[in-house]
Amino acid sequence: MILLRLISWPYVRKHLLRSVLTTAGIVLGVALLVGMQGANRSVLAAFNQTVDRIAGKAQLQVTAGESGFAEDVLERVQAVPQVRAAAPVIEASVETGLKGQGKLLILAVDMTGDRSLRDYDFENGDEDVIDDPLVFLAQPDSLIVTREFAGRNGLGAGSRVAFDTMEGPRQFTVRGVLKAGGMAAAFGGNLGIMDIYAAQKVFGRGRHFDRIDIGLAEGVSLEQGQAALEKALGPGFNVEPPSGRGRQFESLLGIYTTAMSISSLFALFVGVFIIYNSFAIAVTQRRAEIGILRALGATRGQIRTLFLGESAIAGLIGSAAGVALGLAFTRSLAGFTGQLMEAIFGVPQNTREILVDPRFLLVALVLGVATSMIAAFVPARNAARVEPVQALQKGKYQVLLAGENRTRRRAALLALALSLGCLALSRYRPLFYLGYLLTVTAALLLAPFLSLELARLLRGPLKWLRPIEGSLAADSLIQAPRRTSATVSALMLSLALAIAHGGVSLASVQSIQEWMAGTLNPDLFVSTSETLAARDFRFPAAMEGELEAVPGVADVQPVRTARVHLGGKPVMIVATELGRVYRHIHRTIIAGDAQTMDTLAPEGKGVVIGENLSVLQKLHLGEIIELPTPSGPLRLPIVGIIRDYSNQLGAVFLERSVYVRYFQDDTVDLFRVYVKRGAAGEEVRRQIVERLGGHRRLFVLSNREVRDYVTGVANQWLGLTYIQVLVALMVAILGIVNTLTVSISDRRRELGVLRAVGGLRAQIRGTVWMEAVAIGAIGLALGTATGAVFLYYEVQAIGKDIAGTPLAYQFPFGIVALLVPVILIAALISAVLPAETAVRSSLVEALEYE
Amino acid sequence: MISLKNVSKYYDGKRRVVALEAVDLHIERGEMVSIVGPSGSGKSTLLNLIGGLDRPSTGEIRIDGQAVAALSDDDLTRLRRDKIGFIFQFFNLLPSLTCVENVALPLHLKGLPRKEIDKRARALLDLVQLAERFDHLPDELSGGERQRVAIARALAFSPPVLLADEPTGNLDTHTGAEILRLIHDLHERLHATILVVTHDATVAESCPRTVTLRDARIDGDVRR
Amino acid sequence: MNKAAALVPLVLLTAAWAQDARAIVEESQRRGRASSQRYEGVLEVIGAHAKVSKKSWQSFRLGSFGESKAIIRFTAPADVKGVALLVINHPDRSSDQWMWTPAIGRDRRIALQDRSTRFFATDFSFEDLEERDVNQFDYRLTGEEAIDGAPCWRIEARPRQGKVSQYTLSRVWIRKADYVAALYENLVKDKVARRLHETDIRNVQGIWTAETLEMTDLRRNSRTILRIEKLAYNVPMKNDDFTVQALRREQ
Repeated sequence: MILLRLISWPYVRKHLLRSVLTTAGIVLGVALLVGMQGANRSVLAAFNQTVDRIAGKAQLQVTAGESGFAEDVLERVQAVPQVRAAAPVIEASVETGLKGQGKLLILAVDMTGDRSLRDYDFENGDEDVIDDPLVFLAQPDSLIVTREFAGRNGLGAGSRVAFDTMEGPRQFTVRGVLKAGGMAAAFGGNLGIMDIYAAQKVFGRGRHFDRIDIGLAEGVSLEQGQAALEKALGPGFNVEPPSGRGRQFESLLGIYTTAMSISSLFALFVGVFIIYNSFAIAVTQRRAEIGILRALGATRGQIRTLFLGESAIAGLIGSAAGVALGLAFTRSLAGFTGQLMEAIFGVPQNTREILVDPRFLLVALVLGVATSMIAAFVPARNAARVEPVQALQKGKYQVLLAGENRTRRRAALLALALSLGCLALSRYRPLFYLGYLLTVTAALLLAPFLSLELARLLRGPLKWLRPIEGSLAADSLIQAPRRTSATVSALMLSLALAIAHGGVSLASVQSIQEWMAGTLNPDLFVSTSETLAARDFRFPAAMEGELEAVPGVADVQPVRTARVHLGGKPVMIVATELGRVYRHIHRTIIAGDAQTMDTLAPEGKGVVIGENLSVLQKLHLGEIIELPTPSGPLRLPIVGIIRDYSNQLGAVFLERSVYVRYFQDDTVDLFRVYVKRGAAGEEVRRQIVERLGGHRRLFVLSNREVRDYVTGVANQWLGLTYIQVLVALMVAILGIVNTLTVSISDRRRELGVLRAVGGLRAQIRGTVWMEAVAIGAIGLALGTATGAVFLYYEVQAIGKDIAGTPLAYQFPFGIVALLVPVILIAALISAVLPAETAVRSSLVEALEYE
Repeated sequence: MISLKNVSKYYDGKRRVVALEAVDLHIERGEMVSIVGPSGSGKSTLLNLIGGLDRPSTGEIRIDGQAVAALSDDDLTRLRRDKIGFIFQFFNLLPSLTCVENVALPLHLKGLPRKEIDKRARALLDLVQLAERFDHLPDELSGGERQRVAIARALAFSPPVLLADEPTGNLDTHTGAEILRLIHDLHERLHATILVVTHDATVAESCPRTVTLRDARIDGDVRR
Repeated sequence: MNKAAALVPLVLLTAAWAQDARAIVEESQRRGRASSQRYEGVLEVIGAHAKVSKKSWQSFRLGSFGESKAIIRFTAPADVKGVALLVINHPDRSSDQWMWTPAIGRDRRIALQDRSTRFFATDFSFEDLEERDVNQFDYRLTGEEAIDGAPCWRIEARPRQGKVSQYTLSRVWIRKADYVAALYENLVKDKVARRLHETDIRNVQGIWTAETLEMTDLRRNSRTILRIEKLAYNVPMKNDDFTVQALRREQ
């Protein structure tokens, strides 16, 4: 420890900027990891808390996917002897437009029976939650809000709250205020309670419930209750503890979390190179010092410990700062994630509290420190190997040994050969990913060699450009490969990541757009919500006729979407009149023929599934799938597989009449409306709003609006991955600054000579800048090449394992074209400070022999 | 040619270090002066100030009639480039550049046409009798040869002033004598004003004038 | 849950000092029997902060004790007018209950509640409104006292093993003259939680009935007064009128 204080601290103090830059990689990596994890956790926790608080004492919940089920199921449930209490529930979110965060999660219950499962008055009732329960039940406009929500919006008993219902805009009267705590904490306090029968009307649910909450009789275990209910209800119903809903949501969030975590770790990985670089440089710069220490009796172990200790401390400081930064970002990231989950899956979100797992913070700290120490391991070992005599001799810095270089090249070629082998056997997915890993390894092993070669190649053009500055800049790179290669590697990796991500998003957006052009071609969409994903409100089936009667309307196609469990995953059922829809759209058929599909599916003799579902759940044409429905399992053969992007976990296209029969649900989420030839879309839209909008909540969206919305959501989804690419790039650019700073100090003498013999300031700057640009250019070249390979792997992974929809391999030239100036300019900017240092340092000192 | 009036140089740190105190010195065009004195007497500081590598704390320095104090950093650099040639003890060649390139360095920095630079650099190497070493890197040369390259570089613009800081300090006696001969030879041929900082009595005595520094002041000025 | 129809004979608890106490309670129940009953009730809840809320209803009951059917139809205030409750009692199990809310146009089956919770914001709990089976309690005659000037037996009723009740003990004072219960005290852990005071005891068609019932919740410091008006026994009623369909039809 004394060594650390005596030896390391002065060095750190002397190279403060560089020390800060070194840890910056860890800071950003850890910050991203903590921020993302915290955000996802908070979103999930908020959801779970809402579920938990709302569930009250319910031990089990009966659901049938998202379709809900008819009221009479309640009696069947109540008849089960193991059931003590059964309470029906409808849950939906509404926008009240109130200022203090007006979105309300409405929990609609039957208050006469619900108290046996949920606690409504919390302080043993010296004051009633509900002013008059009888009035509450008698009046359909009754609403209970939480004290918190009431306080935020200045509401009290008797206040009015307005929102759109399926019967048009309605005023609701606050007839009760829930005390804080318990259930009132659900959905960030934005909870509203309504009578379930009133809610059926408000949300257009007909005589359906969303679910039934169950309290079991005394002495009945969860398993016994579950078994009894499953037996009584038959398949098609889901009987699960409330935590099951959390798990479903988690599986939706999971798609997203995985992608995020991988990218966060990637940023940390890029940070490894920066740290490695710093320590490698520190070891070379401090060779003399190490030599003296060794001469004075320090053992190799002590030297190694010294450097590892330094790296551990740097890692700790960096991770601590990263944790702080990450925590600072968590809230906005959580907001973003919540919004995204709502936009994509229609799951209402209200994340108020930021939840951070202290254990995870510890893990992040450990990860940061470990990253730092791993990165410093090789430099520390090299430091320990320094021979005292050799080190004390004045001379040139250690360069990369030829032997070391050769070994690396051999290892790289081996990795490359193996990865090709893996690619040939990529049917075995683990081998495919192993191949990816090997490719990354090979790229990293080859990076120093390739950057050296590229620097040599660049010397010519640079020299031609500026004979002195150019060749000196190139020489600086060539002569200190150790100084440059780690930075180039970091830059290469982050650029490769950017290019791979860019290629994937480009292809995704393009595929989605193609798909939209083919299938989302109605002129108007009549939806219950502005976001097509929310399914809180439903239209009655009769509205189809009302729409058809609007002048200018040519065709109306009702669509009902509901998630059900298939293969353990929430899969979307899209119920529509397939025959009518198929006349209008252009499908990309993956398997099956159009004719069979068009005959069997509309007759209800089969289903058509999305390509992603077939890939993700390994379903093939002709296979029979079993959909759980409230009327028992619905078994239908797959008669066609089409390209589809309507749901990330896959969609099943089912003839509407079959859906209505099996799910006993004739409500509609969305009407696809085609306008007559010659009729103006805007006019028809106006007519629909005028005729139907008055007595019904509805949103009429034009084709463009829907497509823009979908594209917007897709971009939002991809947007977050870009934050991470950005962080990786920032880390890499910090690497450039780092390398240049060291380069300047290494070349102090050289730059001094240059100035002594007549180099003007501009010329000195020029050489530093050129070095920076050269690093950028080399990084760009290697990154682009590596990115092209990474992209291949990512496209494959996404197509086969993650999304299930094949993406075209499209090299993102546009992004590269954008990256070239961005990186070169970033490199130039990162050269500004080091260049100024070079210009301003004392000439006399520079020329003195060190 | 070179005139210093009441020039002092201090280094301010925790304790003020006086490197040069109230020095008056006048050197005529074409003179060859050796500067001697014990370590720390201010020899190198004097040379650095004259060469424009550093600026005096007080006093005035004129090179070829031009007041150095008034010059901007870049103008000072130009003055150095065009009028002053440096020869260092440790040669200060750029290890990655060949002999020709090292010699051509100032010419490139001035931005002369490439053809002319090449011709001139080769001619200069010829002058210091290194014609056969054009494309060698400094590492491949002996100490004497390196110093010749450095001298060739110093002569790039046929500067009226040549400053040599211990030019033989890092060489064996034999090679040192050779370099000294070369410098004398150049003095005769180019009529340059030459200042040589040295520890070596042989070198000092070979010059027509010797200035002795002691404790940051001029302690003697002998013409022979 | 709400044995709304039981509002009149209300809780017939009782206790026994051996057989005597139980016999008194049984006699009290027997004397209250009638083939049907009709009245108009006015309910007043006087809350802790002197907040008063008032409701009126019409009550119809067919049959009595164990097999009765009853309908309560609210007549005031305006926001509950038309709300109706149908209760069908069974001798062997809990009653079935439905509620009709005209504003929503829906009838609903009322699920079994936690019996200790309050009946629609009154000071009665659901349990207080249930018809009680004499066999589920142990009775003990503990003395004699006068209530409102009338001499009464004081009887303690303790729920038997297996009977779930929010109360640990109840006391009832039954008038010696007419076997009408004049006062109840329901205790939770030795403290009186609710007190029901019955007054205006009149003979209606040969049945002695209290026409004013005042329930005090001592924990909440609130009381509910029910006044019974236009009481009539043995009025002709049709079985068909006590169905869910009838509930809707009557609207």
